Amino acid sequence: MALKKDLSINYLGVKFENPFCLSSSPVGSDYDMCAKALEAGWGGIVFKTIGIFIADEVSPRFDIVNKEGHPFVGFKNLEQISDKSVEANLKCIEKIKKNFPHKPMIASVMGSSPEEWKQLAEMVTQAGADIIECNFSCPQMTSHTMGSDVGTNLELVREYSRATSQATKLPVIAKMTPNLTNIEGPALAAIEGGAKSISAINTVKSITSVDTDLFCSVPVVDGKSAIGGYSGAAIKPIALRFIANLAQYDKLKGVEISGIGGIETWRDAVEFLLLGARNLQVTTGIMQYGYRIVEDMISGVSHYMDEKGFNSLEDFIGKALTNLTGADNLNRDYKAPVKINAEACIGCGRCYISCYDAAHQAIDWDGEKRRPAVSDRCVGCHLCLNVCPVQGVILPGEIEFKEGRTKRPVTIKTKYE
Amino acid sequence: MSTVNKAPYLEEAVQPFTPRTAMEEAARCLLCHEPPCSDSCPAGTNPGKFIRSIRFRNVKGAAETIREANVLGGVCARVCPTDKLCEEACSRTGIDRPIEIGRLQRFVTDQEKIFGMEILKKGPAKNKKIACVGSGPVSLACAAALAAAGYQVVIYEQKPEPGGVLTYGIIPSRLPKEVVEQEIGRIKKLGVEFKLGAKIGRDLSLEALKSQFDAVFLGLGLWGGKLPALEGIDLKGVYSAVDYLSQAKDSGGRELAAERAVIIGGGDVAMDCASTAKQLGAKTTIVYRRTLEDAPANAAEVKFVQSLGVGFIFQFTPSKILGKDGKVCGFEAKGTDGESELRLKADQVIFAIGQAPEEILLSEKLELTDKKLIKINDENHSTSLKGVFAAGDAVNGGKTVVQAVAEGKTAAFAIMSYLTGEAK
Ligand SMILES: Cc1cc2nc3c(=O)[nH]c(=O)nc-3n(C[C@H](O)[C@H](O)[C@H](O)COP(=O)(O)OP(=O)(O)OC[C@H]3O[C@@H](n4cnc5c(N)ncnc54)[C@H](O)[C@@H]3O)c2cc1C
Ligand SMILES: Cc1cc2nc3c(=O)[nH]c(=O)nc-3n(C[C@H](O)[C@H](O)[C@H](O)COP(=O)(O)O)c2cc1C
Ligand code: SF4
Repeated sequence: MALKKDLSINYLGVKFENPFCLSSSPVGSDYDMCAKALEAGWGGIVFKTIGIFIADEVSPRFDIVNKEGHPFVGFKNLEQISDKSVEANLKCIEKIKKNFPHKPMIASVMGSSPEEWKQLAEMVTQAGADIIECNFSCPQMTSHTMGSDVGTNLELVREYSRATSQATKLPVIAKMTPNLTNIEGPALAAIEGGAKSISAINTVKSITSVDTDLFCSVPVVDGKSAIGGYSGAAIKPIALRFIANLAQYDKLKGVEISGIGGIETWRDAVEFLLLGARNLQVTTGIMQYGYRIVEDMISGVSHYMDEKGFNSLEDFIGKALTNLTGADNLNRDYKAPVKINAEACIGCGRCYISCYDAAHQAIDWDGEKRRPAVSDRCVGCHLCLNVCPVQGVILPGEIEFKEGRTKRPVTIKTKYE
Repeated sequence: MSTVNKAPYLEEAVQPFTPRTAMEEAARCLLCHEPPCSDSCPAGTNPGKFIRSIRFRNVKGAAETIREANVLGGVCARVCPTDKLCEEACSRTGIDRPIEIGRLQRFVTDQEKIFGMEILKKGPAKNKKIACVGSGPVSLACAAALAAAGYQVVIYEQKPEPGGVLTYGIIPSRLPKEVVEQEIGRIKKLGVEFKLGAKIGRDLSLEALKSQFDAVFLGLGLWGGKLPALEGIDLKGVYSAVDYLSQAKDSGGRELAAERAVIIGGGDVAMDCASTAKQLGAKTTIVYRRTLEDAPANAAEVKFVQSLGVGFIFQFTPSKILGKDGKVCGFEAKGTDGESELRLKADQVIFAIGQAPEEILLSEKLELTDKKLIKINDENHSTSLKGVFAAGDAVNGGKTVVQAVAEGKTAAFAIMSYLTGEAK
């Protein structure tokens, strides 16, 4: 029988059967969609942001970034918050709660004044939501009292968080923007205002491409375009960085984190958990592949836990944080020069080109035999290892200590896929 | 000059994927809605789902999907005519070429072994015993499904080794012996007992079996080699395909070396005979009565045989086998055009013109069809004898391994409902 571990987790005092939630976006914007998602196995839903302001959307509204044979590694959107009436959205939340009472419902809201935040908080509480998420972070709103500008303004974040928290008994999450240099400040302001948790990240401000015939960036809306939010696999590295920043910030000790940004596989999910997130949200992965991706997330995390002997997510949440330190704290006493398996090498020479043009000219090329050989100029940067197209041909070799440094055991990565 | 493939007899010919190349191939998959590949697997192996699991980095989950649907998932990965099943249905064909589903399935089942996964579990013990006669794919699938549901199963096999055609037919370069042993090992772990060298109808009667067991399943296959009534058919060096292949597999090929072999037939079995003969060192020619287009053999197999340098002669039917001192020394055939004539030097002539049921009467009351196949009720695999069920080649006249797996599973469920009294 397929292995299934207990993936349940308590987030903000609410029990989730697994940490996987839809993030606020079109993927969770009406009853049938939410019902299908929950039936597919998602642990909970962050409903599409509800506002007093009702969006009037453009067409088209998306663009994608491709890399060689891989389409859709990054995704840009120009969408705003819900384009449905508050009443319709509240009805939908009520119906979902009624038919799926054990699946937590997080209502995402956005106001443009403390009064609106209060009003929205009261309404979604009334409708039966379990948690409220304040959207401080949509980068394509048309007013600076709403959207990601709010998320960079400590005063507004504090004030809106307070207005929301005071109007409800439910725990409140503040959803942060990555469009700033430092996320800790606004996060702290949200907690000071009464929020209980931080979710991050919303989309990254971007221009994904420019149509070179129309002289207009994409998507082209009647010959014009705008800066829009970037999401999907491409932003995972940025999201992970912000999650770790939040988790490591002393003044936010004990504040629960929800991780968002580029999650598609169980492996992405585990990475967010290892850096301290205890709830996970997904949009672009679903937009691209559908709700079904949760099946492999559940199964994959279960197998991972089985391999590692973990019985609960709590056993490994934050486990990679102690090993994340300042660049000034890294061991600079050794190098791990590569070794090349000449037998398995197929002779493409890519390692030679990269090492010569971008590293330390440490690979000699036998043009006759079409084979590379590593010389003692290798500094162990591992550029070639990352460039090599054949699995396992270039791997770290013996550790060498620099002149005069004390030898000691070191931990390096040896498994590459 | 053209290159000839020198693939050795005992080595698997198709290269495996590495985790990276498997991911590259899985990334070609379009992840279709209601995947047509999954719809076209008789055994429900669900490639749409397991490839999606590879794509989303969950190889162990992929292994569970395969193994739970198909106990012979590793065998099928290698021998299924995928070009006529899942890969034929693949939507990617509309862009360029289908996903290599069989090879991905092999990758996953290989990884399953590397990880030491034990996916199938024995169910809570039930106090009922079933005998399965034969240990080919159909019996293996039936026995595994029954054992997984907690029933006690004993397999009776006339040959010294289990596996049926997997062990005594399909050539090692397509299906290495270790793979068959591993799959059977998993079934043994489920608690299925194997009694080898026990021929029902000779060593033990069907009646005796019936009295010792709560139900009996017949998965006898087709082990009567067909030989045409030709002059010279009794000469030494003339074989039926099943005899030839099982002798070759038995001896690792050592006892069958010949100088010139002629294979008659155009199906997969003929191709297996041809590659065997060629790999064992004979100058090999296939003679087939129809055209290449009409030949029922799998395209991949024909290509493999051609790559070995085997010659093909089409539209000739055998007329006479020539002999000297009781041994084959030549072969003659007539063109289907009524004029052409063919005469080849040969010291081996192998007929791969279909298999027939073995002439063995298990019971006078066991109803057969006019083709001597076992007659069943299509709905529940029951035979004319109460408590006796049948499926596989001996019923369907000879299809595929994956078809046998599918039938074995449905037969197992039919037996379960019989035993729980849900059916008559
Ligand atoms: C040479 C060859 C190549 C093939 N290649 C392919 C291929 O590439 N792909 C594919 O999908 N299919 C292939 N097939 C077809 C496929 O192998 C069969 O459809 C499949 O094996 C049928 O399974 P089975 O269990 O019904 O019969 P078998 O595999 O024939 O098993 C029947 C078993 O029952 C035993 N038995 C019979 N009578 C008795 C008795 N009285 N007492 C005890 N034991 C008994 C036999 O010894 C045998 O082990 C091939 C067949 C042959 C002959
Ligand atoms: C089309 C689209 C619409 C979105 N709408 C909202 C929204 O209404 N409210 C919100 O908080 N985030 C919204 N987001 C942001 C996502 O919830 C999420 O934070 C972001 O896309 C990063 O996660 P991902 O990489 O899994 O998509 C939207 C994203 C997309 C792509
Ligand atoms: S995804 Fe649906 S709504 Fe959007 S353009 Fe295509 S058909 Fe229209």
